[in-house]
Amino acid sequence: MVAVDHSDRGAWIWTRIGLESRGAPFAVKHVCAAAVAEADVDGAAVTLMASASVWQTLYATDAVAERLGEWQLDFGEGPTIDAFKEGGPVLVPDMDSLDALTRWPVFVTEASMGGVKAVFALPLQVGAIRLGVFNLYRGVSGPMDARQVADALAFADAACTLLLSDAEGTRTAADITWHRDDRSAHQIQVHQATGMVLVQLGVNAETALARLRAYAYAHNRPLSEVAIDVVERRLRFDPEVRQEGEEVG
Amino acid sequence: MMREQLLAEAFVELADTLVDDFDVIDFLHQVATRCAEVLDVAAVGILLVDQRGALQVAAASSEQSRLLELLQVQTNQGPCPESFQAAKPIAVPDLNQVTERWPRFSTQALSVGFSAAHAIPMRLRLTVIGALNLFMEQSGTLPTDTLRVAQALADVATIGLLQARTIRHHETLAEQLQTALNSRVIIEQAKGVLSERHGFGMDQAFARLRSNARNRNIRLSDLARDVVEGTERF
Repeated sequence: MVAVDHSDRGAWIWTRIGLESRGAPFAVKHVCAAAVAEADVDGAAVTLMASASVWQTLYATDAVAERLGEWQLDFGEGPTIDAFKEGGPVLVPDMDSLDALTRWPVFVTEASMGGVKAVFALPLQVGAIRLGVFNLYRGVSGPMDARQVADALAFADAACTLLLSDAEGTRTAADITWHRDDRSAHQIQVHQATGMVLVQLGVNAETALARLRAYAYAHNRPLSEVAIDVVERRLRFDPEVRQEGEEVG
Repeated sequence: MMREQLLAEAFVELADTLVDDFDVIDFLHQVATRCAEVLDVAAVGILLVDQRGALQVAAASSEQSRLLELLQVQTNQGPCPESFQAAKPIAVPDLNQVTERWPRFSTQALSVGFSAAHAIPMRLRLTVIGALNLFMEQSGTLPTDTLRVAQALADVATIGLLQARTIRHHETLAEQLQTALNSRVIIEQAKGVLSERHGFGMDQAFARLRSNARNRNIRLSDLARDVVEGTERF
């Protein structure tokens, strides 16, 4: 294994994904491949979810990862569902544990027979914006150590960035590079501005965030700066008025 | 001067919140508020570590934007990250003396009107999960018994945060912290919605959200999610 400095995890994650994509535009499958290698798991799947019972597997690294979704949809229970509903990771290092069996009796039985001995479900979310879940599994039970958890969460963030870029309707390499290099995207004002813009435009939170990101990109300004302008009421998003550089509709 | 008479009331009130429909952010908000009152300091903030290793704002005694921004600066600079790394309290008796050490933090803290600060680690056995941040308008160090009570309140915050499940495993800790921080994001989004809809400032938006949740006996984070998703309009 290559010795890497994980202290700037944000930058390192994209470099690692780039090793998988080899120059092609970044896609969720590259994130999955990188995460599988770094978290030392056996497979990964990204499920897009509109609700706890309406979802599709966007990408899975293998047949077992693909079935993670099916098992849970069939029986309406499982760590992916819980992660989505609770808005936080659900880490199950040992599917044979009493704890897991108590929480999801049917899922654990089926999945364990199917070769899944550990599952780690990380929601793809920005607050109330819930895009889906990033699922990792192991064929042998065992917890992820702190570094692997941190890496897995960072890969989930990266998948989230890609999915949000998809929501903007454009996903060029330049666009993704620009967004991933903007470290201000998690600031408080961005979340507040999301709420304000969703009211201003009469759209949902995901669209509001996409519009903020598109504006920031078009004006080459950090997202947090744009957000501060919105929060301090120097910038409004008006559905009737086309913002300079912004696509309408 | 620490207000001891408020201390017993604060503990009773905080113990009362350890119930089935426990809401982490609301609880931490109460801890921060009571902390400021009992310790008689100008402001209190609570930062929690996310699983990427960065400190994020979880709650504060006041939702004034300038205080939240001051806490947010401490993601990577200031007494809180140092306290977190060292697992020890860090005293800053005079913010004017730390302008080289922490330029952004000190400038911002001074501009808000604070003269001194203190950071106390939130510890669970051998793990540090965040920091309690005190701000004072007067420069100087806090008395030892005040700091002891501050540590006790930081410990209360830690225990309350993790009480929802038995903490045997590293996993549960990671899950709880991430969920708490994501709840915080939802609340910020909800503040934006209410602020825009009613013309409130962000702190008023938070107060309105919180009082609505309490009056209706529902969790703050659940109400916030409904506000952002549009299933709740007020």
